[in-house]
Amino acid sequence: MKLPNELAKQFRRNIQTYSIIIALLVIWLLFGALSEGAYLSAQNFSNLFRQMTVTSFLAIGMVLVIVTGNIDLSVGKAAGFISVMVAHLQYRVWHELIPGEALLAAILSITIGILLGILWGIIEGYVISYLGIPAFIVTLGGLFIMRGAILIRTEGRTIPANQPYLETIAQGYLPTDVSWIIAGIVIVFLFFNMFRSRRKKREYGFELSSLAMDLSMTLFFSVLVGLYVNVVNKYQGIQLPVMLLLIAAAILAYVSNNTRFGRYAYAIGGNREAARLSGINIRKNVFQVFVLMGFLIGVGGVVLASYVGYGTIAAGEGYELDAIAAAILGGTSPLGGEGTIIGALFGALIMSSLTNGLQIMNVAPGWTQLVKGFVLVLAVYADARLKRNR
Amino acid sequence: MKKDIILDFQHVTKEFPGVVALDDVTVQIERGEIHGLCGENGAGKSTLMKILSGVHAYGTYKGSILYDGEELKLESRAIRRANEAGIAIVYQELTLVSSMTVGENIYLGKEPKENGVINWNKLYSDTQKVLMKYNLDVEPHAIVGNLGVGKQQMVEIAKALAVDANVLILDEPTSALTEAETDQLMEIIRSLKAHGVTCIYISHKLDEFFRISDRMTILRDGKVVNTLPTSELTHEDLVKMMVGREMSKRFPPSKRKPGEVILEVEDLHATDPHDSNRMVLDGVSFDLRRGEILGIAGLMGSGRTELAMTLFGEYGKITEGRITLDGEDIEPSAASSAILKGLSLVPEDRKEHGLILIQSVRRNLSLPNLSQFSSFMRINRLAELQATMEQAKNLDIRMPSLEVPVNTLSGGNQQKVVISKWLMSKPKVLIMDDPCRGVDVGAKFEIYKLMTELAESGVSIIMTSSELEEVLGMCDRVLVMFEGRSNGLLDISEASQERIMALATGIAESEPAK
Repeated sequence: MKLPNELAKQFRRNIQTYSIIIALLVIWLLFGALSEGAYLSAQNFSNLFRQMTVTSFLAIGMVLVIVTGNIDLSVGKAAGFISVMVAHLQYRVWHELIPGEALLAAILSITIGILLGILWGIIEGYVISYLGIPAFIVTLGGLFIMRGAILIRTEGRTIPANQPYLETIAQGYLPTDVSWIIAGIVIVFLFFNMFRSRRKKREYGFELSSLAMDLSMTLFFSVLVGLYVNVVNKYQGIQLPVMLLLIAAAILAYVSNNTRFGRYAYAIGGNREAARLSGINIRKNVFQVFVLMGFLIGVGGVVLASYVGYGTIAAGEGYELDAIAAAILGGTSPLGGEGTIIGALFGALIMSSLTNGLQIMNVAPGWTQLVKGFVLVLAVYADARLKRNR
Repeated sequence: MKKDIILDFQHVTKEFPGVVALDDVTVQIERGEIHGLCGENGAGKSTLMKILSGVHAYGTYKGSILYDGEELKLESRAIRRANEAGIAIVYQELTLVSSMTVGENIYLGKEPKENGVINWNKLYSDTQKVLMKYNLDVEPHAIVGNLGVGKQQMVEIAKALAVDANVLILDEPTSALTEAETDQLMEIIRSLKAHGVTCIYISHKLDEFFRISDRMTILRDGKVVNTLPTSELTHEDLVKMMVGREMSKRFPPSKRKPGEVILEVEDLHATDPHDSNRMVLDGVSFDLRRGEILGIAGLMGSGRTELAMTLFGEYGKITEGRITLDGEDIEPSAASSAILKGLSLVPEDRKEHGLILIQSVRRNLSLPNLSQFSSFMRINRLAELQATMEQAKNLDIRMPSLEVPVNTLSGGNQQKVVISKWLMSKPKVLIMDDPCRGVDVGAKFEIYKLMTELAESGVSIIMTSSELEEVLGMCDRVLVMFEGRSNGLLDISEASQERIMALATGIAESEPAK
């Protein structure tokens, strides 16, 4: 089949994903022009990606939660609480217990932070799955509980968190040469994967798309990777939190597409009754999804503490809404059963790009919020129209 | 003799992307007749009626429709205009709001108003008038959700008639009705005819056409095969025209010889899972042999579906009795454990319980079988693809590809997907709850053939059915259900429609059948 035809077909089939990418590019170009290039500077770009990481950790977990037909309104404050706990540990506890051991302290803080997240996920998951109380109510209550917990722990004051090691998570960079090496590894992996998948398809006797097609797609993504590393290297290299996010997202995407756990989650959201009659243990699966969300809340909370440098009273305020918006912008259906991890990443990137752009233009925060809300509704409407005309 | 034509379809053609649903259809409907419309799924019956009732507005099809001699042009708000023109349609899926009353439903969207506020007195008195005019035995203030399916169907018809319909289209109105309710419906349709209403009747149950229609049009692949008076047609003629080939027998022959007993159900009692005071199964006993097809017959509400679901562990709470599968006492508590023990269930309502409509054929097929192609947690995609492709080919599922969402498939093919997904798990006992409901003649035969092949290979099948001919044509033995208990286990040699009906209505009591 001729390459242009194949490309067109590929485009039409994945029009939802590609339209998000196009929207992103449009936003970048638009702000780039409006800000006379300041927006597209290496430093700003690097910051833009860094700004979205905390919400993104929450967003990618939220995808699976929404896919099963549930919701988690507590993620923002829960992550905030964990950031407060991490700060508390860093500032007060380790000083007394293990003075002078900064690295150990940091490691312990991170571990405990993540464990707290998992614990929260277990609690929520248990109440929702096994006690049968709707997720909306449980997580709404969770939000209030976490807000209170933050106020109690902080006693109304801000807690400084940073010490050299904890700081690195959110504010560190991979040195430029390491960044290039990683870019190289990723590109090699992309090509390797493409050839391997072609070989396997041939083994099983399936139809292959043309080599030209596969090559151009892989090349396209390789160029994207290269471009990205090129830009961030002009500032300080690949941002560490972004690296962590991408690893987490890749693992999560793999899990949702290639494991039984993932399939079951989509089945439950697609048709709960049919899933049940197919022998799926719905309670177990939903419980697992919330534990996974808890893990990501833990990671988000730790990165938040490292990013802000403090455990604040307002930590995580409103993050759940950003996470939900990112997931839905990225194609997750509010009704459940549909949605991708990578979509949520793009959704988060779009929102972060918008916010960042408006900030650079010195637009008042009120207007920024307005634009965000407007864009979200517009995007979902456009998506619905696209789906109807398919 | 000049015929009085009320509807004249002239060269109607309707295309969807990739499919020609109607191809140059020309049909005339005479005033006051009951005109049957039959054809396989995908033949174009529903599409034609959707054009007539305004679902597909004027401009989305080619050709023209003359209504009472004038061209029917339903443009914006087409459905409302169709109603105003006196064309009403009663769909197969009930479109009632179960929490509202009969009157509210009948006048939904057309409530009589006075000064901007609904005039409830007029609404209910109008409702009473419509119900009385057409002899429908329903209370205007009854909550629809509390009515049985038969009465709900009557409310649907009243809803259509309340717009003073000249033309009433009934799209498979009897799929959810019992024999008694179907008889009532036939009476109502005849009285409609007496009032001068023209009816277009669509059904898969060919016998109904012979009971009620004056003339019939047979569609195949979007084209009109013929339009003839019903008196000039036979069952075989219809099938031949619908399917386009000779179908000598409705049911495939089978050389199977059932083996030893594989499943024994002794005195099973079970309560409603939401109401422990209500017994849904009140003493069911039977046995099932290897490679046998056991039919479960009975009126609606007799407990057939409840029995099927309870055996699968997904409905009743068992209070008494024993189930023994392959020598092992089992207590089915959930689908997952039933599947592990070798039981599979093809549910009655494939859209609600059998399929995930937005997902692809492949994903639906592999869902209960993922452990077959996964190690640790990882699913081997290619193995999955291979296995599902093979299944789809074996069952001749007609689809553009494995990746299309199942809601784009016809009813018969959807049912095949449900059956295939269970076959992949290689069950010992396959429970099929009314497997051919809403499935067209061609696909039905394929499903019957599949069932006999399965039975020949040693799988035991329990099939509930509301069509006595189907039960008599397919099964080795028949279990008759009456008011939640088993009332007779007949060998096929001693079963007849009359005997089964007698047991199903409780007129006769069962004798020990072993």
